[in-house]
Amino acid sequence: MTDPQLRDAMFHRIMRGLVDTGRAPHYAELARPLGLSVENARLLLHEVMQAYPIGWLHPETDYIASFPPLNNLPTQYRVTVGGRQIWFAQCGFEATSVTWLFPSQTVRIDAPCLDCGDPVTLEMRDGSITRVEPAGVIGHLNFGFGPSRGRPAFL
Amino acid sequence: MNLFRSEEHARRWPAFLPRSEEGFIALPDLVGFFATESRHHMLEPDYLSAWYPRRAAERRAYLERIGKTAPFWLGTPDEARR
Repeated sequence: MTDPQLRDAMFHRIMRGLVDTGRAPHYAELARPLGLSVENARLLLHEVMQAYPIGWLHPETDYIASFPPLNNLPTQYRVTVGGRQIWFAQCGFEATSVTWLFPSQTVRIDAPCLDCGDPVTLEMRDGSITRVEPAGVIGHLNFGFGPSRGRPAFL
Repeated sequence: MNLFRSEEHARRWPAFLPRSEEGFIALPDLVGFFATESRHHMLEPDYLSAWYPRRAAERRAYLERIGKTAPFWLGTPDEARR
């Protein structure tokens, strides 16, 4: 197991990279800034993901797929900040916490309803809802939380 | 974990599971659920070691506060399966 400070450092660079650019950096890009060999950066990435199991790598790869609240793999939850739509939220629930990554800015979530395809729009600023359309938007958890339900937490 | 235009839209979703009737959450409650203290610190350099470990207890406390105490929400084993 690596020094927790090093895991923190990689986590922080991944989250910061997602916020700044809309994509997660590859472990090979993180190796030199963290003072690691490329292979040790890869191993560290796996440690980080083990310590942050609400995110995941694409199966059988070292590519970050999900790093909540944001997603490196596009989802239907498009995130717009400052007129730029370069981010995606992991799911509809995590979308409501993206606001905490962009303090003092309006964060807009746009998604098509999975039933009809009509838009669902949510705007938040510093944790508060500033706009929601339509007014009846609701959250829905299809599989319960926890391993007893035996299904991926993101569904 | 999705957002729908209304409960009726969710129920019409082909993948909707009958068990998930208990899976609805009002938007203000959902926003609160994902606004617990640790969430405010996701950009801090020590988030993973200092803040993320607090998340589970925060979530459970919040769910209990809003009355979502069933195994479906808390992630605890179902009574019927014990």
